Amino acid sequence: MPSRPTDNDPARPWTEKVLPTQLEAIRDAEGDVMARLEEFAYNEDHQFAIRLAFEEALVNAMKHGNHMDPARKVRLAYRVSPQCIEIRIRDEGEGFDPGVVPDPTVDENLHRPCGRGIMLMRSYMDTVEYACCGKEVQMTKYRRPSQGGAKP
Amino acid sequence: MKIQVREESGCHVVAICGSADVESSAVLREALLGAIESGARCVICDLGRTDFICSDALGVLITAYLKALTRGGFVRLADPQQHLKEVLATTRLDHLFDIYADVQAAVGGAEGKGKGA
Repeated sequence: MPSRPTDNDPARPWTEKVLPTQLEAIRDAEGDVMARLEEFAYNEDHQFAIRLAFEEALVNAMKHGNHMDPARKVRLAYRVSPQCIEIRIRDEGEGFDPGVVPDPTVDENLHRPCGRGIMLMRSYMDTVEYACCGKEVQMTKYRRPSQGGAKP
Repeated sequence: MKIQVREESGCHVVAICGSADVESSAVLREALLGAIESGARCVICDLGRTDFICSDALGVLITAYLKALTRGGFVRLADPQQHLKEVLATTRLDHLFDIYADVQAAVGGAEGKGKGA
């Protein structure tokens, strides 16, 4: 799954995991990623942003991609460097077109309890791209001093 | 996440301590919707010790807000810290919820809607 070049060290290995479609599996995966961010001393703003986008992406993969089907898996790959974190998450669903997801921030959608995950991912990460007909999301967050939260 | 509930000047205050993540959403839903269904008209979510919130938990807050409205009550948010303020602003939910600087102000019901505390 990982193949696209970035400014990350190309020799730095990816950590790859196959997760069951269980929301409980998110916590362990999240803990591993957060521990890596701590190692590289990412600040609190970065950690909050990455945790939020990571959780939203995994929940989307399990709920909307795999429809919570325990027979389906979620493939996770990530690598962290002092410069950035790259994350790839792929589900085994039918895919979707992220372009048709309604904007949850317009007045008529503010009352909707769902549909904010992708918007939050785009707001808190520097790049969010979909591949494989929407079955894979690829996200990057660059580490910049004194920055880390949502984009203005 | 832990939920601590108390009554304050006739308001039902639900303090959300820790991370309001997807795993915790069911507990949060039970605490908020359960209170409203039991007759609480004034519900205040104390976010002073909430260090994380995901879209699922935001959905629970919205569901509770709507349910309270249909019963003639309300849900107010109090004391969101910086990261939560940012999430509420990013999602524009600070235009939906009345947000107060602290629980006392929320109980008092001072003007606060859309001001993000």
